[in-house]
Amino acid sequence: MKKNKNSLAVRRQREVNKVAAVFLAPVILVLVVYIFYPIVNTFQISTLDWNGISADSTFIGLDNWIELLHDKAFWTAFLNNIKVMLLSILIQIPLGLAMATFVEFAGKKSTIFKILWFIPQLMSSVAVGFLFTYALATNGGIISSISQLLGGGLVDLLGNPDTALYTVIGVIAWQFTPFYMVYCVASYTNISEDVYEASLVDGATKGQYFWKIALPLLKPSLKSAAILSMVGSLKYFDLIYVMTGGGPGTSTELMATYMYKESFANFNMGYGSAVAGGMFILITLISLITMRILNGKED
Amino acid sequence: MKKRWMKLMSLSVAVVMTMSLAACGSSSGDDSSQDSSGSSEDKTITYWNIGTEGADKAALEYAVDAFNENTDSGYQVEMVAIQNDNYKERLVVAMSSGECPDMYTSWSGGPMNEYIDSGFAQPVDDLYEEYGLNDIFMEAATAQASYNGHIYAVPTYNVSLAGIFYNTEIFDEYGLEVPTTLSELEAVCDTLVENGITPFALANAPKWTGSMFYQCLVARYAGLEPFQAAVDGSGSFEDECFQWAGEKIQEWVQKGYFPEGVNSLDEDAGQAKQLMYQETAAMMLTGSWYTGTFSTDSPEFYEKIDWFSFPAVDGSDADTSIQIGTIGDQFVSFNCEGEKLDAAFECASYYASDEAQQVMVDNGKIPPTKNAESLVTDPISKKVLEAANGASSTQLWWDQYLAPEVAQVHLDTCQELFGLTMTPEEADAQLQAAMEEYNADK
Repeated sequence: MKKNKNSLAVRRQREVNKVAAVFLAPVILVLVVYIFYPIVNTFQISTLDWNGISADSTFIGLDNWIELLHDKAFWTAFLNNIKVMLLSILIQIPLGLAMATFVEFAGKKSTIFKILWFIPQLMSSVAVGFLFTYALATNGGIISSISQLLGGGLVDLLGNPDTALYTVIGVIAWQFTPFYMVYCVASYTNISEDVYEASLVDGATKGQYFWKIALPLLKPSLKSAAILSMVGSLKYFDLIYVMTGGGPGTSTELMATYMYKESFANFNMGYGSAVAGGMFILITLISLITMRILNGKED
Repeated sequence: MKKRWMKLMSLSVAVVMTMSLAACGSSSGDDSSQDSSGSSEDKTITYWNIGTEGADKAALEYAVDAFNENTDSGYQVEMVAIQNDNYKERLVVAMSSGECPDMYTSWSGGPMNEYIDSGFAQPVDDLYEEYGLNDIFMEAATAQASYNGHIYAVPTYNVSLAGIFYNTEIFDEYGLEVPTTLSELEAVCDTLVENGITPFALANAPKWTGSMFYQCLVARYAGLEPFQAAVDGSGSFEDECFQWAGEKIQEWVQKGYFPEGVNSLDEDAGQAKQLMYQETAAMMLTGSWYTGTFSTDSPEFYEKIDWFSFPAVDGSDADTSIQIGTIGDQFVSFNCEGEKLDAAFECASYYASDEAQQVMVDNGKIPPTKNAESLVTDPISKKVLEAANGASSTQLWWDQYLAPEVAQVHLDTCQELFGLTMTPEEADAQLQAAMEEYNADK
């Protein structure tokens, strides 16, 4: 049968389309204004020699990008980001999982731990930064005081370029591990109670249940947790900015702090935008590759 | 399963996208709500500064209140006080989004020149003359408010020089005298180290604090010419005097003149002054605004404190009256024209009034005026003022004076000198490279 232009089905479809458009419009508008336009704009600005405030800017094509490719400072920052990323994934997720498992197995009695452990996640990064600047201070900080009690000397963690980055990574872990704990607790609730009971009936120990049953079932969530952590680490800014400002020297500079300095402190908005663009490309690439690898394993 | 991953991927890509612009996006978002350019209310002049609290607020607000009360221009000034720490960034964001305030303060130097070059400040030579400000403000203050031979700003509320605060009780206890030469200073430091006292309280995490040592050493060793020559390209930061200053700093670090972990101590968290208060450190080289800090924190402690200018380098014929610092700290620039500029300038001119100067003095500031001597009563402030008036020239802090991107390299390399992670040669070479690159782009 040839479809009539005014058939009920077509008319209905048209109505549905209209409604869909109305419902989608706000979302699309928000996406375009706050996400797509700024990205396009960033790439546009990255082709300019512009101090960020002047009315004149010069179009210089890909010069900023060529400079970026040869910019040692940027690649050092990128390497630092990779260190933050690897260590964050290796520390935060296993620790978060362990804490979640403890909370899960201990049941109601452990609510107090759930609450205590979640507190760091509730604090603002700036507050955490200041807290640890004091706690890790060479003079009168916790670590230094303990070291002195044990007969050692003062310990300078944040002022030493060899340890500063790892110290901040530790603080980042302190702040974000609770997030992964909650994430894993939530994933545990997705595992049906029946599975747990069935395994007990079959005589599995708690250890066996965890390694042989829970962990495989949690794998998809852990994978997405890893990706969340990865993206978060690659764009990291707050605690580095508060605790070290990229120092000593440039030893803890990250891509985001470098972008911020270039754009707003050094009056190089054009170059800063190229750094932002570079970050965008690198992070997207790394995300895609990681997805591919994780997918490959799954099939 | 595949589909789910695709979804997740697109989600995370979206997350990535948001973040790379979050910095710009969110801050400009804040600012637009600030409404500044005064387009909505033509007779309102928006004035940005850092007077959020305490002495800064009192001194900066005075002119605004006085103007709003007395003016017959028909304009009113609305003051927007912004936290010092991210003031510069807020200003840049406002300027880039066309919301630059009509009046704003800056620390002059490199960033102010950048604002001027970008058209966000008007020359005010005629108005400056008309209000007779030349006769009121110190010449050095007017000089620091100028660029390319024109006056672009009005100095406001403080004279701050780099100098050494010291604890007189500790000095008395070990029979130490105020040093007049570097070798005497080193002898003082050695005695202090022997007695388990840190000679200098210094918190070098923010980098500009340690840079003062470098600036003072260079100025005392060779005067200001090598620095000026290095900046304009006729000289070089690889000149001997810079190398010497770097070596001196590293020698001092090795001899234990600075607190351990100096690069991790945070000035903003007060970790340098704490060493002074605990009396585990005897001296502190810093800006003379510390008179206000010490006296507000503890008037009793302040009584133990005295001040001297950085001592001469033995065998150098450099002029020891040269000072490093700011004469006028916070300079008001104007981003408006015609009648509005006249009104805005009238407001700024209140900073030159006798009453305003009294307010500054009452709040522990040293007004950058020729008349300041008759107003200042605090003994340390008097000494600072004497040094300022006696200076053959005053160099603005390097990190303010240099173009921002060069200043950043100076701060980074200087911090590495303190950390012994870079040799003076490497530091100078990097700074020189940054300076050359900047001069080439200009």
